[in-house]
Amino acid sequence: MTAAATPVASASASPAKESGQARPALWLLPLILVLGLFYLYPVFDVFRYAFTDITLLGKGETYTFASIVKTLTRPELAEILWVTFVFTGASVLGQQVLGLAVALVVVRGEQRRLFGTTILRTTALIAWVVPGVAGGIVWKMLFNGAPFGGLNSVLRLIGLAPVQWLSDPDTVMWSVVVANVWRGTAFSMVVMYAALKAIDPVLYEAANVDGANPWQRFWYVTLPQLRAAIMVNLILITIQTLNTFDAVISLTGGGPGRATEVLSLYTFNTVFRNYDLAAGSVLSLLMLAISMGLALIYAKFLPKESRS
Amino acid sequence: MKSVTQARIGDIFSYLFMAVMMLFFAWPLIWLLSLALRSRKEIYLGVARLIPHEPTLANFQAILSSSQFASYLINALKLSTLSAIGCLIVALPAAYAFSRFPMKGKGAWMMGLLSFQMISPLVIMIPLYRYMASIQMTESHIGVTMVYIALAVPTATWILKGFIDGIPASLDEAALIDGCSRFGVFWRIIVPLSTPGIASAFIITVIAGWSQFLVPFLLITKDQLMPIGVGIFQYAGTQNDSSLQVLAAACLVSVVPAIVAFLSLQRLILGAMTAGAVKG
Amino acid sequence: MLKLFAGALAAGVALLAPLVASADDLVTNNRIGLSNAPNKLVFRMTTDGPANNMPETAEGYKKLFEDFIKKHPDWQIETQLMTGDIGQEQARMLEQAKSGSAPDCAAVDSFVLPLFKKAGVLKSFSPYFKKEEVEQLFPFIREGVTGSDGQIYAWWWSTDLRVLYRNKDIVPDAPQTWDDLKKAGLASVKKGMEGILFNGSRYEGTTFDWVANFWAQGGDLVDKDGKPVFGEGDNKAKFVKAVNFYRDLVESGAAPKRVATIGNYDDFNAAAAAGTTALFVGGNWQLGQLKSTLDASEFAKWTFSPLPGPTQGERSTGTGGWTVASFSSDAKKVAFCADIAREVYMGPANEVQGQLPTRADLYGKYKVFSSPENKAFGEALQKGRARPGAPVYPEISNQIQIMMGKVLTGAEATDKAVDEAFAASMAAYQRLK
Repeated sequence: MTAAATPVASASASPAKESGQARPALWLLPLILVLGLFYLYPVFDVFRYAFTDITLLGKGETYTFASIVKTLTRPELAEILWVTFVFTGASVLGQQVLGLAVALVVVRGEQRRLFGTTILRTTALIAWVVPGVAGGIVWKMLFNGAPFGGLNSVLRLIGLAPVQWLSDPDTVMWSVVVANVWRGTAFSMVVMYAALKAIDPVLYEAANVDGANPWQRFWYVTLPQLRAAIMVNLILITIQTLNTFDAVISLTGGGPGRATEVLSLYTFNTVFRNYDLAAGSVLSLLMLAISMGLALIYAKFLPKESRS
Repeated sequence: MKSVTQARIGDIFSYLFMAVMMLFFAWPLIWLLSLALRSRKEIYLGVARLIPHEPTLANFQAILSSSQFASYLINALKLSTLSAIGCLIVALPAAYAFSRFPMKGKGAWMMGLLSFQMISPLVIMIPLYRYMASIQMTESHIGVTMVYIALAVPTATWILKGFIDGIPASLDEAALIDGCSRFGVFWRIIVPLSTPGIASAFIITVIAGWSQFLVPFLLITKDQLMPIGVGIFQYAGTQNDSSLQVLAAACLVSVVPAIVAFLSLQRLILGAMTAGAVKG
Repeated sequence: MLKLFAGALAAGVALLAPLVASADDLVTNNRIGLSNAPNKLVFRMTTDGPANNMPETAEGYKKLFEDFIKKHPDWQIETQLMTGDIGQEQARMLEQAKSGSAPDCAAVDSFVLPLFKKAGVLKSFSPYFKKEEVEQLFPFIREGVTGSDGQIYAWWWSTDLRVLYRNKDIVPDAPQTWDDLKKAGLASVKKGMEGILFNGSRYEGTTFDWVANFWAQGGDLVDKDGKPVFGEGDNKAKFVKAVNFYRDLVESGAAPKRVATIGNYDDFNAAAAAGTTALFVGGNWQLGQLKSTLDASEFAKWTFSPLPGPTQGERSTGTGGWTVASFSSDAKKVAFCADIAREVYMGPANEVQGQLPTRADLYGKYKVFSSPENKAFGEALQKGRARPGAPVYPEISNQIQIMMGKVLTGAEATDKAVDEAFAASMAAYQRLK
């Protein structure tokens, strides 16, 4: 990553085959400058810290491999990774499916002039914009395990027994995922909406001429056209979800026990409770490796670029 | 006739789905509103009461009459709008280059770009603080804006690149043959045609900036420069001084500017779409 | 394209246009004193100040600071905001102290003091407080502010403690022992209540409220060098016993399962108001909250008593609170920061907010602290104990919270969970050493 700038620059050195002023480096220059000036050095430091024993307290640090070995062999790490996997998988799936569904209905609603599409989009958006602290407070009330808790009072009304939404280790993960999907869906909705808007209407007209039903139109026109957008969105929200712990920290703090302690929250605790910057750096590199692996897998499903 | 019935059935399903989704998204917000309308006395009832017996607008009044709150909002607006504009300026040409120019190992570079986003922002903030302090960029809106741009630019580039990929390259080539410069193609053809993509990248960046906590928390200490993401904690109280009602009101009010932005942008997008359709 | 958008936003904000504070206000949002005063001090504070969310308290503080700054006309104080997350806040202050941009003066949570003392970022307050003043501090307070060199590094001005609240209608007599409490809890469940409520989730209060049960038996979390000892020898037996006490409360049904998710004192107020509980472990400040939440006739049913212990004689309670400390390398600013601590916070601020003073003599001095309730709190403070002054404490607390979750949900055997918590705490200690 530290070398990000060089190969692009060398790409410009090799003569561009295209006509015109096809010098990618020039077009990439602002990007390289911003990242290089304001972000590259700290990123480099994170790599460096992973090979030290640096803490937030001490002044000096010495170089060592011990942080990497000790951090990656911690007994709780396997459990943390499993929790992260379930949380990320369920959240990403939920956000993608709901985001696409809402975008589809909104686009359809706009064409058919149905009532309420703007209200729905705006509400989803508020859930996204509202400060994380508010989401935490409110979902905590809804998932309150007391008989008078938000969801439990509804259950009581329809004659069901109260559920321990957050204190049952088997239920708590799903509660947290729901809160996270609530907050995160709007991102996918915005991306999917734009992608739907970009589909050439001619394709639908052709499908209509062929007598396709709505399901066939969705399956044979919409989905293939969205494939690239969905893959890009999946990559982006997977990275985001791996890095987020807003919903978790405000609802459960990672508990009960470690039942909902995702990798990013674990990293947070390592740095801000344990003051262990070296271990935090190792963990963030581990997260980088996981993100990268997943992104590469998704990228395999990206449609081949069909530029002539 | 058949297609009319089909469409009607479709409408019913659409309404049903929208109703369920509305419930899902709005229900928690209704609770937030309930908190915001409570008096100090009723706040400790927590989830035990949805509709306050003695609703009050005092919390909203307290928020709206506070010059501090307005200053938090203005700072947040300034930072998130500037960074979103800056982000587009940086990301659009890059996205165009990634979409159109032949490059060795393009996929690797796209991934490399994204890897900036894969490093936990949480951990990076500490070296970032040290670095920004050493180049004297703390306590400055410019410094914060630049970091916001750096944080948002990988996502924006990816979204925009995907969008530009969808625009047929034959349009570029035709224009180039007509004697248009590369920049001309980019500015007159690509940018207008990718309005929906630009709008969504813009919205996403504005909102990402709006909800930033860590960056301004670390880089800014002066209250006059603080954006709402951090300033909101002024209303969070402490354990023995719970002020959830004020916090809830502050959260709700803080949403308004972002929603206004979104709605006006939405009109712009729709406008651009119809204009494009007419032209096409 | 952006013009319309920016216009709309600007209009939105203009609607919120503030009433600009007039330039000669002595106390504004981010300044106390006159803007042309020659000396300037940066003070980072919590809402224990003019920014308090309760109008009466805010007014009270405003007046205190006005009076204070009138006595020091050549100073102005720039106030800065402090957020709720103490972990991040202290990391930020440490980083800023290292790069020389820490505030001159700041509110510091008492349990963070050891960390700051160890990092060597605080300036001594010893020259500015009289020996008599220091001697008046409760012993655990004095210990907390004193560094290894015998100097004091902060002024701890307010404290709090944990007590057992109960509804007299349902639980007439104050439970004195763990057994009493379990019986009272079970009896209350029979009367349709949820049982005893306490913090049991991933939250600092979980450790803090529970650890009194360990301390009451004479247990120690760390030794005098700050090394964790709670998981070995005698201490471990006491520790496991105290954990099993909580575990048994949940397993017997004397406490509901949901305690494993409670991480907020406000939840107890809500349950009391909803009439679903008759017993909870809470903070002294909650008495005032209950009073303002419940109808007078309901409130009359509630009272509090010292936390029960394993036997009637073995009792303890956790105490916390806030301090004022200085990071400035300018002696004049350190002195002025000490002035703020003495003249605004030590006494007057306690009175304004009703927060318990840290000096025995102040209980007689202010009328509000002579009330029977506050006298009772003051007496309970005699058994008070602060969290250990060791940098490893936050991680010990984190591990206790994790352990508590596993134990209260029955996911793991107590012994195993305690061993894991101890091993992790030791590992953290080795790293920080």
